[in-house]
Amino acid sequence: MQLSTAVLSTLLLLPWASSFAQTTPTTRRDDTDQATQDLLKDIDAGAAHVRESNPKPEDPGRTGRGPERAGNSLLDHVRAEYLPTLQVVWPALLVAVALAIAGGITGTFMVLRRESLLALSVPQVVMLGAAVGLRLGWPTLPPAMVTVAVALILMAWCRRRDAENLVLPALYIAGVCLSMLVIANAGAHLMEVQNLFTGIDVAVGERQAVVIGSILLSTGVVCALFWRRWLLLAQAPAVAELARLHPVRWNALFLCLLATVLVLATHAVGTVMVIALLFLPAASVLPWTRRIPNAIRASAIIAVLAVAIGFVLSVEMGWPLSHSVGGAGFALFLLSHSVVQLVR
Amino acid sequence: MMLIGLRQCVFGYAGVPIVQVDDLQLRAGQSLGVFGPNGCGKTTLVRGIIGLLAPLEGAVQRASGLRFGYLPQQRAMGLDWPMSGIDAAAMAISAQRRFGWLGHAASRLRPHLRLLDVEDLAARPFAKLSGGQQQRLLLAGALAAEPQVLVLDEAAEGLDVRSRQVFLSALRQATAGGLCIVSISHSIEDVMALGDQVAWVHLSEEPGQPNRVEIISPPAFAERVLTTRQVL
Repeated sequence: MQLSTAVLSTLLLLPWASSFAQTTPTTRRDDTDQATQDLLKDIDAGAAHVRESNPKPEDPGRTGRGPERAGNSLLDHVRAEYLPTLQVVWPALLVAVALAIAGGITGTFMVLRRESLLALSVPQVVMLGAAVGLRLGWPTLPPAMVTVAVALILMAWCRRRDAENLVLPALYIAGVCLSMLVIANAGAHLMEVQNLFTGIDVAVGERQAVVIGSILLSTGVVCALFWRRWLLLAQAPAVAELARLHPVRWNALFLCLLATVLVLATHAVGTVMVIALLFLPAASVLPWTRRIPNAIRASAIIAVLAVAIGFVLSVEMGWPLSHSVGGAGFALFLLSHSVVQLVR
Repeated sequence: MMLIGLRQCVFGYAGVPIVQVDDLQLRAGQSLGVFGPNGCGKTTLVRGIIGLLAPLEGAVQRASGLRFGYLPQQRAMGLDWPMSGIDAAAMAISAQRRFGWLGHAASRLRPHLRLLDVEDLAARPFAKLSGGQQQRLLLAGALAAEPQVLVLDEAAEGLDVRSRQVFLSALRQATAGGLCIVSISHSIEDVMALGDQVAWVHLSEEPGQPNRVEIISPPAFAERVLTTRQVL
């Protein structure tokens, strides 16, 4: 399992590293539409306003109040940098936190059921559907849901023929390639599809955030409540079959819950954050948790922590939020596994 | 009380007959040992007995509302799932509960954990226990679910002497209380230890014909196997 998690982590890092090398923060001005540029101007104006209304503290050497000055500086810094940003990006953060909780829970079972490749493939299929919607001038979510539904049916069909390990990588490649081919030579759509990959912090509407966040949290709660079912289906499917539980239906339910998280979250905050929050928190906690309730709790906490650290990095360093969250998640993953190895 | 009755039944998949049994009756408090070489259709027969496979021919009668239990091999379980001993034992009960929530039903586990001498293992990680301890925990859970027919799939295989003694003793106690046991095994010893009757699956000599099941008493089975060394 350690080798497979290391390989999977490398696969997750590659897109992050390659896109980060281009230093493309999600709020890069020249690549965004007019509405987003207006929002960015508001952020700058808000930051300037806070700086004006909170004058710089005096030289500590004059007043002799060194530590208190440092504390005030920190508060001023938070007021100047974080509050204005929060005012603008809180919808995206709300979705990110909801995804952290839902993804931490759902991702734990996804990793245990060895369906991590599913989590890599489905967001790419979402992008394909969104690209089709963009090309046809439709809203992006409905076509994305259709393509995911088709992909899930294909996966279920292949699973019955023990060919799932063949179709999932194929779906991943199809999503990555076909989504670009669909909108080839359409410059504006190309950037929108790329934004769907990285997420764009200011593009999540308030109402959208509340609706998506509520659905994500509900999905996570439902997944958590059925933890004994998932355990039974994985460990003793014959017992489930004898109890007339119809394991096929329960497995389909889990796929639907997972797909709900993947589709809605990808649509809101982009592929990178979804994959990071679905996989890394679970991979971080599973080596040292002894029971599933503890694992899903810890996974959700680690995921929220990754979002918090990612947000701080995003503000302080000017990095894209999705990639910052992914990097923070990976750092926590490395820390967790290092501590486990040291303790053992 | 007759729980399950099979008459002239043939079981198979996709229309292909695998195994045929002429007359078999299972009563409360009885044990049936299913014995035969690999691939002869033991699992197919048991799936037909418990209702997971419809017969290609013949008739199966089952008492209404019959509760089945199944004891998996501990070796077949994935030990990467984080679970304590009691989580593993509780799986059988959770299968009977809505959404898997145990509620007060969890209290049914304690007496069986005590009977199988695994009560102190309840809080320990399941993956760190020995094979014998794991299998006893699973049996405690299967018995706590209060089945009327319990299927054991090579459940005693690989157990150490003490675990085996505790395991078989608990099963004999359960059959004395009315539990019907269907046990699949490669082990002649296990079949003799548990079976009131033996379903011996003989490979068919004619291609395309199903393998035949011979219902035989344990002493006759022992004589044929141990004296004449006839196994296949």
